[in-house]
Amino acid sequence: MSKQINVALIGNPNTGKTSVFNALTGLNQKVGNYPGITVEKKEGICKLPRGVKAHIIDLPGTYSLNASSLDENVVIELLLNKNDKDFPDVAVVISDVENLKRNLLLFTQIKDLEIPAILVINMADRMRYKGISLDIDYLEKQLKTKIALVSTRKREGIERLKDLIANYKDLSVEPCLNASEIDKPYFDTLRETYPNQLLYKLWLVITQDVNFGKLTRNEIDALANFKTKSKSDLKRLQQKETIKRYQFINNVLKVGQTIDVTQAKDLRTRLDRILTHKVWGYLIFGVILLTIFQAIYDWSSVPMDFIDNIFALMSEWVKTHLPKGVFTNLISEGIIPGLGGIVIFIPQIAFLFLFISILEESGYMSRVVFLMDRVMRKFGLSGKSVVPLISGTACAIPAIMATRNIESWKERLITILVTPFTTCSARLPVYLIIISLVIPEGRILGLGYQALALMILYLLGFGMAVFSAWILNKILRIKKKTFFVVEMPNYKLPLIKNVALTVIEKTKSFVFGAGKIILAISIILWFLASFGPGDNFNNAEAIVKAENKGKELTQIELQQKVASQKLEHSFIGITGRAIEPVIQPLGYDWKIGIAIISSFAAREVFVGTLATIYSVGNDDEDTIKNRMAGEVNPILGGPLFTFASGVSLLLFYAFAMQCMSTLAIVKRETNSWKWPVLQLFIMTAIAYVAALVSFQLLH
Amino acid sequence: MNSLIQYILVFTALGFALFFLIRKFFFKKPKSDKACGGGDNCGCH
Repeated sequence: MSKQINVALIGNPNTGKTSVFNALTGLNQKVGNYPGITVEKKEGICKLPRGVKAHIIDLPGTYSLNASSLDENVVIELLLNKNDKDFPDVAVVISDVENLKRNLLLFTQIKDLEIPAILVINMADRMRYKGISLDIDYLEKQLKTKIALVSTRKREGIERLKDLIANYKDLSVEPCLNASEIDKPYFDTLRETYPNQLLYKLWLVITQDVNFGKLTRNEIDALANFKTKSKSDLKRLQQKETIKRYQFINNVLKVGQTIDVTQAKDLRTRLDRILTHKVWGYLIFGVILLTIFQAIYDWSSVPMDFIDNIFALMSEWVKTHLPKGVFTNLISEGIIPGLGGIVIFIPQIAFLFLFISILEESGYMSRVVFLMDRVMRKFGLSGKSVVPLISGTACAIPAIMATRNIESWKERLITILVTPFTTCSARLPVYLIIISLVIPEGRILGLGYQALALMILYLLGFGMAVFSAWILNKILRIKKKTFFVVEMPNYKLPLIKNVALTVIEKTKSFVFGAGKIILAISIILWFLASFGPGDNFNNAEAIVKAENKGKELTQIELQQKVASQKLEHSFIGITGRAIEPVIQPLGYDWKIGIAIISSFAAREVFVGTLATIYSVGNDDEDTIKNRMAGEVNPILGGPLFTFASGVSLLLFYAFAMQCMSTLAIVKRETNSWKWPVLQLFIMTAIAYVAALVSFQLLH
Repeated sequence: MNSLIQYILVFTALGFALFFLIRKFFFKKPKSDKACGGGDNCGCH
């Protein structure tokens, strides 16, 4: 009786592995569990030519041999344990013809374990619709294997696969990648320590947290003459390994696979052809952006006015119903206006994330990343920089963290340094309040000027990031480039639940993340604006009366003059006056100066600060916007917030590094104070000059 | 009396506010790999 061949079916999830398993085994299959765990184990018997039988195991889907789940551990444990009764004589790696590049990563890893492996390219019937053609001879030669083109739907290629399994002894076990290329000195030491072990197997034992039977990571670590690396170093080497594998795969597919999208006939490809077109793609993206910004304005105005009025009424209610005194003033003039300054922006933030979430859920965002990659490369950035730059529109912190997968240090550093230019959600309240004050409400071709101004500011931030990257690229002289792999997901209708959860989570984070800081700063600012040293503050009423002797002031006029005198000589007034000479050329008064300084904690504090400062000593139940619109420029006369000073402020916030948390993250990611300090000074200098030039030209 | 209580409340609130900001920006270590947006108080927005 001939020996039964052990066959392991391995592949990425959704490659049609189970369909191949069913086609091979028919009804001769059973389902159980792997011992001790709840991972499903499917096995079956397949009759091969010449009366040979194959015992086939359908292993759980895995993207690579770098295990991150229980299912993936099962695959690695089996492939590394020759003593396991199910250890395969031959591995059948199933790939999907549409995602060959990604699927080949796992294939090359299995080849490097020197297990005879057959590559199944499944869903071959879709090649025609996708415009894909393959040079099978070339691929077999380069990948050192035999390939079966299979279509389980049309039951094609199964017989060839059975033949290949039956003749598995003819398969080459030569590896695809020389493992020592990952880090030569390290692997040389490893080889010397374990001369009889397979190098790639040792590498997997060291890097994976799974049970391999006889050889364990602890045993390797315990050896005196072999010093293993730290976890972060090993992680870096794993990334290097993945990159080397993709470089190899790219080179193979460059010749062995041709994708002619003009020949593709399916809906997804037709949509992709338009949405990623080098002209139409950008135009459509531009139209989508315009629609989003217009909708943010049109849909938010009613709820924003409602919230603004509610906070004004709350202030008034506190003043009239609570006992008179400093604490009541703190609540009505400090805390409520300060918090109102942030809550008012909830509708616009929610709409922004609603649109972003819909774009992500529908699969369109991946096409945007692909589109922008073309632009990025011209400015010396890695394709991988696109993701941090786009996610920077929400917040620079996770965006800077997302640069960790950029292999080249210099490219990563440039991305870290330029990402804070991207318009984050914290800038949005500042932009919205200033735009509403200085940009008229008219429309052109159905698009509001205010929405256009907001979009220009977003593009300006992105443009500045790219331009700065280009300059840094010249200065830092980057030669080494990383490559970019992005998977295009299928288009789908966004799930309402997912979209709703994203909107709620992001909005909640926006309000509660900054809310506590704003509350604390509002209290401190109110205190600094309500107390002051010396006679000018303490005897404000007497001084005002003396100055206006002979004039007939009404009670309200007198109160206003006293409030103004007190504010000017309060702690905050004295500080503001001290910095006024520096900011006056930009068109700002000392109150705006105080708002800029306090917003260094978080940009949106700017609005809350102005709301607090303008409320101190003010008895009107007016809205934030009306109070700001009513401010008078003490030197030039006329409104303080004019087109010139507004544009100056917008440009200042577009370019300035007004975020302590971002600086802290840059320090952590670069492991040095040099880069965040440079970033702070350079960005502030750019912001100052841009604001100065714009104000001097426009006023 | 009422005025005194109000002053005490104001200075207490001020003390809490200062303590919160100092702890947040000078003593609290930034959180690790957790992404922003999950109520992680990154303080950036």
